[in-house]
Amino acid sequence: MFEMVSSSCEQTEKIGENLAAKLSGAEIIALFGDLGAGKTAFTRGLCKGLDVKNDVYSPTFAIVNEYKGKYNVYHFDMYRVKTMDDLYSTGYFDYLNNGVLIIEWSENIESILPKDAIRININYGEKENERILKFESVGELNRI
Amino acid sequence: MKILALDSSAKSASVAILEDRKLLGEFFINIGLTHSQTLMPMVENLLKNININVNDIDVFAVTSGPGSFTGVRIGIASIKGMAMLNNTPCMPISTLYAMAYNFLGENAIICAVMDSRCGQVYNALFDVNGENITRLTKDRAISIENLYPEIEKCEKKVIFVGDGALLCYNNYKHINNVYIASEAKRYQRASGAAFAALDEYLKKPKETSSFDLVPEYLRVPQAERELKKKNNC
Repeated sequence: MFEMVSSSCEQTEKIGENLAAKLSGAEIIALFGDLGAGKTAFTRGLCKGLDVKNDVYSPTFAIVNEYKGKYNVYHFDMYRVKTMDDLYSTGYFDYLNNGVLIIEWSENIESILPKDAIRININYGEKENERILKFESVGELNRI
Repeated sequence: MKILALDSSAKSASVAILEDRKLLGEFFINIGLTHSQTLMPMVENLLKNININVNDIDVFAVTSGPGSFTGVRIGIASIKGMAMLNNTPCMPISTLYAMAYNFLGENAIICAVMDSRCGQVYNALFDVNGENITRLTKDRAISIENLYPEIEKCEKKVIFVGDGALLCYNNYKHINNVYIASEAKRYQRASGAAFAALDEYLKKPKETSSFDLVPEYLRVPQAERELKKKNNC
């Protein structure tokens, strides 16, 4: 486990971009954090790092956006996913192992996240625009 | 009578064509979920290779679930597309039932299991004796623990089949008389669905129109559906 401090949206993106370089193409990245914490900013940076050319935005209504880059990226927003049936019908289980999954609102599916998921909690810091990013279950990843 | 059957219900995909009891041809691939790209070219090539026109097909069969959400939909949608043209009858076949057809000629209990994640499997048990298949349970979602006592009780040899076979076998292999299907017979095949469809069709020609064909998803039991709590699996 390790922590990183971001003092701006741009810096949060940069941290995401740096994580991209460490990925092998089949990871699950579970994001936790409140509205406005920077989950989408982090994802935008990560996608930039994977050479994704598409616009990256929160799939609150579509539930999953697919992007093509160095790897396939599946960007989930679980905000509206409440039951196993909901999750099943997003096709979530079909996407596993076929690319990088990055999941906003992982709080909602916490009980079925695989053990080797990279878990990132984004919390508000003391200063305005400051965010603390806490990385957990990161295997051999010990810093970015 | 010619039957064209498709299976894309899980990671493998296959297409088979029967003429009465003769299997004219079958394509099978097991490279993960790329069914939307591979299934129709397989159909086209199989028809071409055995020199049959799609209009000559009398019945379309498809594994209609249980299985992956997207996979089952791809199979059903593909069959609907082909069957609508001439309003050809369709036969939905349980994926688990199709698997039991890989073992005709045996004398064993076939335990068909598909991994539905989190320690759960889609399962049904069949008693196969020569050319007869007797269904012992309905298709269901069940935890690996709850299936255990049923397997322990079986008096015949039990063969595990399906993409959950290894998972179950590894948990149960200390039970006597428990076996795992060879890789070549482990997965659901379109030919199994085709023969099952033929038998069903001859028994009681209850045709399903392509419009009535729907996926048969199995629900995971209510108690185990809580997503928010913290018991990682």
